[in-house]
Amino acid sequence: MTDKQLNIELTRRRFLAGSAMAGFAAFLAACGTSGQGTTKPSTGGGATTPPATAGATAAATEAATQAPAATGGGKLNFANWIGYIDVDDDNTTHPTLDKFTEETGIEVDYQEAVDDNETFFTSDLQSTLKEDLPSGWDLIVVTDWMVARLVRLGWLETINVANTPNFPANLLDQYKGRSFDPDTNLAAPWQSGMTGIGFDQKKTGPLDSLAVFWDPQYKGKMTYLTEMRDTVGLAAIKLGYEPETLTQEQFDASIAEIKKAVDAKIVRQLQGNSYVDSMAGGDVIVAMAWSGDVQGLLVPDQADDQDFQWALPKEGGMLWTDNMVIPKGAENKGQAELWINFYYTPENAATIEAWVNYVCPVKGAREVLLADDPDIGNNPLIFPTDAMTPLLHQFRAVTAEEEQSWGEAFSSVAGF
Amino acid sequence: MGRLRRLAPYLLLAPGLLWLLLFYAYPAVQMFLVSLWTGNITDGYEQTFNFGIYGEGLSTYWPFIVRSAAYGGLATILAFVLGYPLAYTIAFKGGRYKNLLLFMVIAPFFTSFLLRTLSWKIILADNGLVLGPLKDAGLLGDDFRLLATPAAVVAGITYNFLPFMTLPLYVALEKVDFRLLEAAKDLYAGPWRPGGTIFGGILGALLVALVAIILEANPVVPAVAGGLLGAAIGTFLVSEAFVRITFPLSLSGVFAGSLLTFIPAVGDFVNAELLGDPKSQMIGNVIQARFLRITDYPMASALSFILMAAILVGVLIYARIIGTEELTGGRS
Repeated sequence: MTDKQLNIELTRRRFLAGSAMAGFAAFLAACGTSGQGTTKPSTGGGATTPPATAGATAAATEAATQAPAATGGGKLNFANWIGYIDVDDDNTTHPTLDKFTEETGIEVDYQEAVDDNETFFTSDLQSTLKEDLPSGWDLIVVTDWMVARLVRLGWLETINVANTPNFPANLLDQYKGRSFDPDTNLAAPWQSGMTGIGFDQKKTGPLDSLAVFWDPQYKGKMTYLTEMRDTVGLAAIKLGYEPETLTQEQFDASIAEIKKAVDAKIVRQLQGNSYVDSMAGGDVIVAMAWSGDVQGLLVPDQADDQDFQWALPKEGGMLWTDNMVIPKGAENKGQAELWINFYYTPENAATIEAWVNYVCPVKGAREVLLADDPDIGNNPLIFPTDAMTPLLHQFRAVTAEEEQSWGEAFSSVAGF
Repeated sequence: MGRLRRLAPYLLLAPGLLWLLLFYAYPAVQMFLVSLWTGNITDGYEQTFNFGIYGEGLSTYWPFIVRSAAYGGLATILAFVLGYPLAYTIAFKGGRYKNLLLFMVIAPFFTSFLLRTLSWKIILADNGLVLGPLKDAGLLGDDFRLLATPAAVVAGITYNFLPFMTLPLYVALEKVDFRLLEAAKDLYAGPWRPGGTIFGGILGALLVALVAIILEANPVVPAVAGGLLGAAIGTFLVSEAFVRITFPLSLSGVFAGSLLTFIPAVGDFVNAELLGDPKSQMIGNVIQARFLRITDYPMASALSFILMAAILVGVLIYARIIGTEELTGGRS
């Protein structure tokens, strides 16, 4: 979701929820790989060369046209974010992908190529898709608003749900019929995350209200997110608006509300994923934070005088989702659909969930985990409770003009 | 043979020129064309030659340009103040440790720019190495901080570009003919008094006041302290030989070093992003956000050109004032 590239601003993503690498190291690692780090799945010939080698391509094309691909084998070029799928103990293979290959004969070229929505869009999608050429990817994972943009551009294939008996059948109901995907056949949610209050409870005591983000008591010890939809979304909720139906006036009011805190210097910085480091180092004790980070990155390394917590504000918080989508002209569409179907099997989703620690969109995964690993199954950050659901808001789809003018308005209040 | 000789300079120039054409001139022209697009990422862009964007960019973002010039200029001055004594010491007193000392100046460059800047976040942390003990001792209030302030941004830039200042100064100072200094002494050049006292005092006061003003602090007390320190340095450390011989001969290094520091410093965005707060972002941050966050490529390109032009004008004026000709090689 972070739009920033170069590195610095790390993408908000979970560089490695739950693994040994923690905050700072993860930050550096991400610095090193962002931007240019993406390895194209295709043969080296440049962006327009379709991936896959001759033999596989024949089979794949076949499969794509005569879906369902059943067990036809072939290939799947899958671009995802770092730390977003299970790995085995020595970090070399992805057990779930191996299982998929075993079951279907499809060879998966899994690349952690998406470092940031905007960068991935610019580097991997834009130049080819606008010329009606295949992007080289069969399945990519991008955030809601990027899906909305891709839909607007007409750059997505429709998922043929006849090929995916588990999708949307096993998709949790709240994800169905989203504004950019009314028929639930363009985007299959991969993971969701919540944006709420991250805080060091030893310094702040328990917190549960968005008012804290305007509380002068925490002046200079608080960060907002550089992600427009998160920061503006929380400000809007604080003012009593629904991010789902935000009007221009409400947007302006939310920006003005943010500006108040910035001008009063209550806000120390607007940060991307690096807020994790600022919190870990103790400079920041309250932050607009993503649910999985506190869980996966902050808590494991906290010092004795720290107690990191994440709370969904009582007024409400933001929910965002990263989705699997099939770029237009994908060579192996049938294989991509098979994977979607595979992921939407509760057991498989549960395996991934046990490792990833974000919010799972697949029905039945929770039951599997409750039996296997009740700690995860009962974790409200992974499986939000019924009481939380109505509090979770999603930022509405924006028009092309709004995307630009709102981005500008947010930028100017953020200081750049 | 004679023909080849005549061609030789061009042949030698060719690789460099080609490189510049391919990786500087061509992208620059491209970017200029992009700046004259109209549209957005969804609906596509059209080449409309909308020159109005330059006026719009300038009128909207001039405060960022001014701020960047102030931070960059201040960092350049600070780098000079730190780098000159350093280069002088290495050149004149380094002895057999010269190479080791030079290596130490460059050593930070073995680490990535980003890492070096990030490490400042650790050093300057609110309760970190520097501030922690001072706060514990009660010298600073609990709310005092350096990170996420303009001071941290300027300090970060100064640190990151210090070697760019130090090395040219060293090269210039190293070339100073020691016999000239001996001759000066023979001709009764002694301590620079009272000139050093007066000049040092004024310079110190102005410099420190400038730092305070740009960092939005009250300049009075610091200016007095700076003035006293400057006067002391001028009185006791500066000789007439230095003022009349060493310093003038090192001006070419001052010129080169200040340009090498100032130009990248003005366009820097890493320091402001990592060490600054929302009120201390620089023009580089605006351009970066335009390119990557808002995907407003035309404005991002236009701002890049405006920045380039602004720096060019600034440098030309500077060159005019210092009088480059005799500095950049005319001397030999």
